[in-house]
Amino acid sequence: MDEYEELFGIQDDFEEQFADELEVLAQMEEESSKLEKRRGPGDNISDIEHLLDDQPPTTPKAKRHKQDTGVAKRLFNASQLQERKVPSQNDDITPPSSPENYEPSNTFRSTPAVLDISGFAAIPETPRRPPTAAPASLRVLKRPPLEGEYISVTDSSGSRVYLRQKEDTGTKVVDSRMVPNSLGGLGLLAVPIGVLREQEAEKRHQQVVEESQRLTELLTSSVNDVLVEPESEENEDPEDAEGRASRLWVDRFSPRHYTELLSDDFTNRCLLKWLKLWDTVVFGRERKSRPARSDRPAANQNSFKPNQGNQNQNRFKTKVEITEEILEAELDQYKRPKFKVALLSGPPGLGKTTLAHVIAKHAGYNVVEINASDDRSAEVFQKRIDTATQMKSVLGANERPNCLIIDEIDGAPSAAINILLAVLNRKDGHGGEAATETAKKKKKKESILLRPIICICNDLYVPALRPLRQQAFLLNFPQTQPSRLTQRLAEISQRQGLKADTGTLMSLCEKTDNDIRSCINTLQFLHGRGLKHLDNKTIQCVSVGQKDQNKGLFHLWQEIFQLPRIKRKRIGEGFEETPGSGGGAQRFQHILHLALSSGEYEKVSQGLYDNYLSMRVRDPNLHSVCEALDWLSFSDRVNQEILHGQNFSLMRYLPFLSVTFHFLFAHTHVPRINYPHSQHEASTRLLSSRNALSTMLADIPAGIRTRISQLSLTLDILTLLLDIICPKLRPVNPQLFSTREKEQMHELIDTMLAYNLSYRQDRTPEGQYTYVLEPRVEEVVRFTGLPPRRQLTYQAKQTISREMEQEKMRRAEQLMLQRNPAVKEKDKQEEKKIAGPKPARNHQQRLENIVKQTTVETRPEVDFFGRAVAPKPQRPQPSSDTGEKSAVLAMGTAVGNSDVWFRFNEGMSNAVRRNVYIRELL
Amino acid sequence: MSLWVDKYRPTSLGKLDFHKEQAAQLKNLVQCGDFPHLLVYGPSGAGKKTRIMCLLRELYGAGVEKLRIEHQSIVAPSKKKIEINTIASNYHLEVNPSDAGNQDRVVIQELIKTVAQSQQIQSSTQREFKVVLLTEVDRLTKDAQHALRRTMEKYMATCRLILYSTSTSKVIGPIRSRCLAIRVPLPSTEEVCSVLTSVCKKEGLLLPPELAKQISEKSGRNLRKALLMCEACRVQQYPFSVDQDVPETDWEVYLRETANAIVSLQTPQRLMEVRGRLYELLTHCIPPEIIMKGLVKELLSNCDGHLKTEVSHMAAYYEHRLQLGNKAIFHLEAFVAKFMAIYKKFMEDGLDAMMF
Repeated sequence: MDEYEELFGIQDDFEEQFADELEVLAQMEEESSKLEKRRGPGDNISDIEHLLDDQPPTTPKAKRHKQDTGVAKRLFNASQLQERKVPSQNDDITPPSSPENYEPSNTFRSTPAVLDISGFAAIPETPRRPPTAAPASLRVLKRPPLEGEYISVTDSSGSRVYLRQKEDTGTKVVDSRMVPNSLGGLGLLAVPIGVLREQEAEKRHQQVVEESQRLTELLTSSVNDVLVEPESEENEDPEDAEGRASRLWVDRFSPRHYTELLSDDFTNRCLLKWLKLWDTVVFGRERKSRPARSDRPAANQNSFKPNQGNQNQNRFKTKVEITEEILEAELDQYKRPKFKVALLSGPPGLGKTTLAHVIAKHAGYNVVEINASDDRSAEVFQKRIDTATQMKSVLGANERPNCLIIDEIDGAPSAAINILLAVLNRKDGHGGEAATETAKKKKKKESILLRPIICICNDLYVPALRPLRQQAFLLNFPQTQPSRLTQRLAEISQRQGLKADTGTLMSLCEKTDNDIRSCINTLQFLHGRGLKHLDNKTIQCVSVGQKDQNKGLFHLWQEIFQLPRIKRKRIGEGFEETPGSGGGAQRFQHILHLALSSGEYEKVSQGLYDNYLSMRVRDPNLHSVCEALDWLSFSDRVNQEILHGQNFSLMRYLPFLSVTFHFLFAHTHVPRINYPHSQHEASTRLLSSRNALSTMLADIPAGIRTRISQLSLTLDILTLLLDIICPKLRPVNPQLFSTREKEQMHELIDTMLAYNLSYRQDRTPEGQYTYVLEPRVEEVVRFTGLPPRRQLTYQAKQTISREMEQEKMRRAEQLMLQRNPAVKEKDKQEEKKIAGPKPARNHQQRLENIVKQTTVETRPEVDFFGRAVAPKPQRPQPSSDTGEKSAVLAMGTAVGNSDVWFRFNEGMSNAVRRNVYIRELL
Repeated sequence: MSLWVDKYRPTSLGKLDFHKEQAAQLKNLVQCGDFPHLLVYGPSGAGKKTRIMCLLRELYGAGVEKLRIEHQSIVAPSKKKIEINTIASNYHLEVNPSDAGNQDRVVIQELIKTVAQSQQIQSSTQREFKVVLLTEVDRLTKDAQHALRRTMEKYMATCRLILYSTSTSKVIGPIRSRCLAIRVPLPSTEEVCSVLTSVCKKEGLLLPPELAKQISEKSGRNLRKALLMCEACRVQQYPFSVDQDVPETDWEVYLRETANAIVSLQTPQRLMEVRGRLYELLTHCIPPEIIMKGLVKELLSNCDGHLKTEVSHMAAYYEHRLQLGNKAIFHLEAFVAKFMAIYKKFMEDGLDAMMF
């Protein structure tokens, strides 16, 4: 905590500055030591080999060997201790059987792995080779052969091999004779011939190496660095330099400490603070607190909240002054911060990932990263989250707790995000259970999330992230401050020997939208091309730094409709300097580039179309308007061709529309651009009117349906039809209509039914009732701005509506009758059945008498009126019998057979009862 | 069936009011027994459908008028389900394949084939072929039309096609050559008048001949429209008066106003207003071709004789582009802008000539 507070003290800036310088120094030191290392072996190779050559290849002795190691030690003096150890160790373990064994030790000195391998590959060769009589077939050697002519060959990776020349037997003899001479040290020459040869070969080799160095230099043009240059003069492996050059500056100069971060201080601080909130749970009393915590909720479940809350609040109140209110929120029952996840968002290249890594390291965590390159399917994701948050490395020195960083989370499938959420919310279900069952809780205890998770995304508003947004501590990255970025760029370029003034770097920042990564990459690219001095013009001309920026449609439209300002000297938006003087081509290129990178041609052209007429066009003859529209219709045709014929190669012609519009309509004024809604609105309205028409058509009877189509409906019929169904009606009760009027009314209703129109009562927002025509075809044919058509009054519509209902009912009944005539009969029966029992009470006495008289054969059991329900199968019979009602006997059987019965008593009103429906009275 | 259009529609070939020669020819065609595929075309409101229904009645008798609507669903090879409504009697089937949009080929292939493949059971009592009536053939896609070619030949024994469209220009040649093309022209003004008068007589109304003439002119000899207008007049005012104003369709009025707006002022702002009006027309389901046609008609009547050729040339040019393209509004507006430019130049030249 203390060191953390220190960080935010005043010395923050100091620190930073010093840190930078220190870093520079450290790096310089490091490099020089490296240099030393490299130089050591490079120089010594030849010497060692000379010495080794002197050795008798036939019988290596222990003494000899010791001497050699001594020499080697002396020679290696310059190099570091560690490296010196390695060869000696090697020697101890396996005493070399031949001088060839020094090869591996040699290779150890040079870092790249390629040589390593080649060196080892040579080892198995050695025992097979009898040193004196080397087989003639073995022509490719790792070392210059002791005897015979050879040619040294250096391959592209810098490793050197020697090709033995085929020689006469005579010379071979001479050579073999000479060898013992040199062996004994009795040579005639001051320097043994082998050594001379070696020197010669070495010289040649050096030349070749230098040559190749120069070539690689030309090719990669990367080794013009001040620091690298001396290395290349030395016998440096070209590979090494290459390896160094291929390392991206972005990685090399990425901040390693909190103080080196370029991103906004406030953001950094917030994130760090949030991360520090975890300290209680992760570090605070790591081993001790956990069991205590597990006890606490069980022990004082009731009084737990206030206690803990007070404590926490007191503890954190000290920092409240500085922190954001989110950060001051109290810890939950597990002493975790309220938000378990931090979600960083912002455009690419601002250093979000770097920030997360640096801060996590700074706070003492071991970073575990999951990014888009990993498999993020649900199961794997779950597993990885669990591994990262629940476990911890046991082996190794890495004993720090994990901090999970989920990078590029906006690309993750929503299933994965749901899993993450489930992990976050685990404690909820768990907390409830914890109160009741401690045993169960212990089992589950490990599944609570106790490690911080940092998520990073570019687009915060991806639908999949929606649930996460509510539960995460959101941190939006603001733009990097150009001044800070420029400063850093200046440092980098200075260190790399690239001269660049602040203005140039500023314009670079501006061009890349303060994208740190893009800036540094551009610098490296320019540097890699051999540029020593960076000026404004190169920055302007280079198109590398420009990524396919997604600037947004409004920006594009604005660029198209606005002439670039003359006074704008710095490049910023592109290449335009002075639009008046020959800037046309540049403007062309600029707009083309913008249009190309936006890609949404459809939307772009729609926006152009919607806005071009409201521009200040000095166009009295409408020529440019005509031309613009010609272009629009051309691009529409191209589009159609593309979509229809799947001919996507035509796509390349689409962005030129924007260029044309720029040259036709660009103006110095700032344009007011509206988002193009018109097309969308039009299509929705078209769809709704189509739907209204098709609902209308759907229920029109077939006889008429066959005569009309949607087209004829809109063009000819509907308007007039709506006129026709608005006749003049007298505002009186329809009963009082004259026959003529009644006929008219009838026709009207007929028409409306035939064309599937009806009035529906509706309530306006003001509370008034109106009748609206259904389906709503009125809107389809009526135009605003035309004189309104005559409308029927509310009463008239009401009347019509009522009449229509009746007519519909009548028709339905008729239809039903037509379809099955029995229904009506049945209906009557039903009615009677309902009506039957009631009057039956009145006549119960008499009926019983009659039934007794007739002695029903079919039904011996009497007194059914008490039960009133007759068996089903006998129901159809009575319908035929009801006709005759005169004879008592017949009546008796009828009564016996049916459950319905009535007798008409003249003059009495209570004799017959039946249900009467309103519709029968209408 | 209470609109006059529906009520007084002739149901047999003998009762047709105009083009009686053609009706007689059709009757002969039916009687001679060798009935070909037909392609009936002509402007809307000329009585194509009436004629076809009369023909069907002549072929099969009154049973053909018992119509029913059937909802059919066809599964396309792409597993997409297509819902389509057909109107059918026992003897014929009426389909509008263009209801299925881009999938109309499937409708042709599946629906028509199934109908065409089934044989009539009792060929002694009725005709040995069924009739499939395809409406709006000009809106069929090329694919669908090509799919139709083979079907037309292959199932000749069991099925006849009657194609029905407003123009043949979008019907591919092979199909045209397989059909007997029958053009149904618009009735003349007199014929429209006589029909109107007879209908009014049947209704027990008295239609003054001047009004009849006026109606027939306003309707553009479209008989359906004429009858509807007449009925609307009747609703508006009865007894008829000679100088009664005849109700028009709204879109025509709107289009005329648009044309007037174009002629009265030529600026980008006005063009913007016109665009709004064009959108309005399009969203009211008025096809762009018809808007174009209407505009040209109105504009030509408004502009000078010297400009007429150029304007009509431009109209043809932009209409062609409109047919090729997708977004009608671009092409319509392009035409309007072009007209504005031409017209403005002409007017300014005229002014200059007057001044000097």
